[in-house]
Amino acid sequence: MFGSAELSALHAIVGADGVLCGASVERAYDCDAYTVDRSKPTAVALPKTTGEVARLVRWCNEVEMPFTARGAGTGLSGGAMPALGGLIISTKRLNRILQCDIPNRKLLAQAGVVNSHVSKVVADAGLHFAPDPSSQTVSTIGGNIAENSGGPHTLKYGVTSPHVLGLTLVCPDGEILTLNRREQTPDLVSLIVGAEGLLGIVTEAWLKLTPLPERTETALIAFSTVRAATQVVSAIIREGIVPAALELMDRRILEAVRMAFGLEFHPDTEAMLLVECDGAPASCRAEIERVGELSSGALDFRLAKNEDERSRFWLARKKGIGAMGRLAPTIVTHDGVIPPSRLPEMLEFVYAIADEHQVGVANIFHAGDGNLHPCFYFDDRIPGTVERVVAAGEAIMRRCVELGGSLTGEHGIGIEKIDMMPLMFTEADLIMQSWVRRAFSPGNLCNPCKVIPNQKGCIEHRRRWRGAAT
Amino acid sequence: METDNLSDLTAACIRCGFCLEACPTFQITGEETESPRGRIYLIRSAETNKLGWAEIAPHVDRCLGCRACETACPSGVHYGQIFELAKAKMPSKRWRSSLLRQLTDVKRARRQFQLAALLPGRKLPSFISRLLTKQPTSTRIPRPQELRNYPPLEGLPPIKGQVALLRGCVMDALFPNVHEATIRLLRRLGFEVIEIRNQCCGALHAHSGDLQEARTKFNQLVTSLPRDIVLLTNSAGCGSHLKEYGATAQDVSEFLYENGLVDALKMSDGLACRVGYHDACHLAHGQGVRRQPRELIRSVPGTELVEIPDSDRCCGSAGIYNVQQPILAKHLLDQKWGSIEFAKPDIVVSGNPGCHAWIEQARAERSSSIQVLHTMEFLEASFSGLFD
Ligand SMILES: Cc1cc2nc3c(=O)[nH]c(=O)nc-3n(C[C@H](O)[C@H](O)[C@H](O)COP(=O)(O)OP(=O)(O)OC[C@H]3O[C@@H](n4cnc5c(N)ncnc54)[C@H](O)[C@@H]3O)c2cc1C
Ligand code: SF4
Ligand code: SF4
Repeated sequence: MFGSAELSALHAIVGADGVLCGASVERAYDCDAYTVDRSKPTAVALPKTTGEVARLVRWCNEVEMPFTARGAGTGLSGGAMPALGGLIISTKRLNRILQCDIPNRKLLAQAGVVNSHVSKVVADAGLHFAPDPSSQTVSTIGGNIAENSGGPHTLKYGVTSPHVLGLTLVCPDGEILTLNRREQTPDLVSLIVGAEGLLGIVTEAWLKLTPLPERTETALIAFSTVRAATQVVSAIIREGIVPAALELMDRRILEAVRMAFGLEFHPDTEAMLLVECDGAPASCRAEIERVGELSSGALDFRLAKNEDERSRFWLARKKGIGAMGRLAPTIVTHDGVIPPSRLPEMLEFVYAIADEHQVGVANIFHAGDGNLHPCFYFDDRIPGTVERVVAAGEAIMRRCVELGGSLTGEHGIGIEKIDMMPLMFTEADLIMQSWVRRAFSPGNLCNPCKVIPNQKGCIEHRRRWRGAAT
Repeated sequence: METDNLSDLTAACIRCGFCLEACPTFQITGEETESPRGRIYLIRSAETNKLGWAEIAPHVDRCLGCRACETACPSGVHYGQIFELAKAKMPSKRWRSSLLRQLTDVKRARRQFQLAALLPGRKLPSFISRLLTKQPTSTRIPRPQELRNYPPLEGLPPIKGQVALLRGCVMDALFPNVHEATIRLLRRLGFEVIEIRNQCCGALHAHSGDLQEARTKFNQLVTSLPRDIVLLTNSAGCGSHLKEYGATAQDVSEFLYENGLVDALKMSDGLACRVGYHDACHLAHGQGVRRQPRELIRSVPGTELVEIPDSDRCCGSAGIYNVQQPILAKHLLDQKWGSIEFAKPDIVVSGNPGCHAWIEQARAERSSSIQVLHTMEFLEASFSGLFD
């Protein structure tokens, strides 16, 4: 129920311009970047402070309205979709940097601050915020924390978690908790980072700032087979070289990137590696030269001559998924992990599955840590396509687990992979997880129907979400 | 134009969100409905009858049409086209078309701008603006430029070709000196200028969804041109529109850059000053013209080009947006002025009459000593020293 009484209650908390409702709003907020399932919110609130978030959450508890946090809505597993309707609490106006402590290399940001904004603010001091999901120019700190996002530089610098020193959490009952890595045991920060918004809403976070590398060398290496590329990946790792990034793109990604940004490559290229080494000038140079030697069988080895060229190499990688829109109207990007040594056979499996289900697929992945992103492209206006895409995705995830990998590297479970959880976790594991959840969120109003399968009151809604996907 | 089908055009959006932070209205509001991704989704929904056009109208109306989202989009979404087609489906607002008629008829426009001198503070009376938009206005009606007394041109090269210059509507009424400066610069390089008077390219009409009128105006203009001539414009909005509709058109800064103005400028007297360049949306995002005007400014002896932060963020003028959405437009203008002051220029230049008038308003309100000029006026001043 949402009537004028509810509206004025929300107005009293966030002001009249902080509440959105109506048909257009319900539509615009019914999904994130994962478009297969959709569900409308009842209303959207845009708080500016931790206090306002806490009051919103307490109000939701009073009227028993579900609520879901939303950052930029670039999530790829449907995490920000309001599964049971209710209130979307958008962090887009929690967008201030509150403190900047350069000597101690840390910074306090509100949850809605955009990832790359943090690095921009501290660049003059020679620092940056290391987690760099490809969506970093738009995705928020809160979203990065919820998904424990990674990026190309995760190989050397780690995912989001080690870069979060502390945070302020509005618990599912509205209580405000301040968590600090050093002061508390058990380490609750680690529990909240990666919890996909199930255990409360993060409103502020102390972020660790990392010195910018003294020197960076970036190479783009073309191979005539995927196998040849993955062998070089194994060789690099075997040598004990830890590149800052080690990324693999297949031919179809390259074609999309060529269409989008005019990036040229050798005509026989089937796979491209992007290798970046950073650190002290001498060792960095030595590393990239060694990578060059290891890639002697490659078609082409290009070293970025300057910063401009380097950002062009990266543009291809960072906007590669976005460029997929040139191949078809809709894309679904999957996310799974396998041992890096199994990459060649996995890739062949991905192509075969896509053919079998008659959908296009292109691959981009963090080769260094075996995190693959098969990206399906299709036209969701053609009946039956969405179902085929879902089936193909499930087959791939199953295979990842069979090969000793995992269901997600960095995009989360959300709504997308909820039914696949039993592939990876035993019943006892899942019960344990729902206990943790219930400890924080007894009322089950906080981001319901996500991550943990078979939640009461969710199963009957599945069909409705999927039916909304046109 | 590959397709003009709204369903296909909107389907090119894969909802990655990469455009969000490029969009001025999303930056200010944080609302998905005021973002490119949101607008495209709403338009797609209206096209498939999931929402009514009237329902989504406020969100489309709040769009500046600045096309910053196109620059940011990796998927190649033609937002500009989506926007114009969607506008055409909106329930029409009569006052808008009458305002357009006033603006795009040169003689009428000049008279209107002059009459405005009688209004207090040159602002639209608030009862009128409230009638139009339900918001109090802060948009002043700009005052037409006084004609500058340029000295006669001397020591000119022989004529080597002809070009056409669109005098247009808003530019012609408000900034006659810009045309004068443009013609002088072209002549300095040996180009004779055929001035196209009392013709409108239709950009403002297309922008507000009057596609039929836009097409008529465009056809009239193109058929009136001599054959095989390059059509030049010093107004970014016109240039971007003409190119989109398939005319052989160029922005003057492109043409002058390609035809030797850099060398000519290096031989000129020059000006000792700091100049900030504001990227008009329809030059930077609409036509991808960013480098040429900057190179030209850099070639002026004694001039230092200083970068304005976020120089390609919309100033809020956006056609007639500042009349339709005064609150957002003012917010953007204040932001823009803040960035300009940060760069501490003596002069700020841009290549579009709308930006020019709007930024000039910000200057006037603050009685700032920073001068606002069109790129052409500044470049011509390097030769003749005149810009007051
Ligand atoms: C083209 C593209 C490329 C991408 N590349 C990568 C990549 O390289 N690596 C990667 O890891 N991810 C990637 N992603 C996925 C996505 O960008 C990340 O998951 C990102 O961290 C989501 O941030 P967001 O602000 O958009 O969050 P949203 O999508 O808005 O939300 C994501 C989840 O976090 C929750 N949430 C949001 N804010 C809060 C908060 N303040 N407190 C608690 N919970 C919150 C939401 O409820 C939801 O469950 C990519 C996405 C796209 C579209
Ligand atoms: S960047 Fe392009 S594809 Fe991505 S959401 Fe924006 S318009 Fe759509
Ligand atoms: S044209 Fe400008 S205001 Fe409109 S959606 Fe694109 S970026 Fe936003």
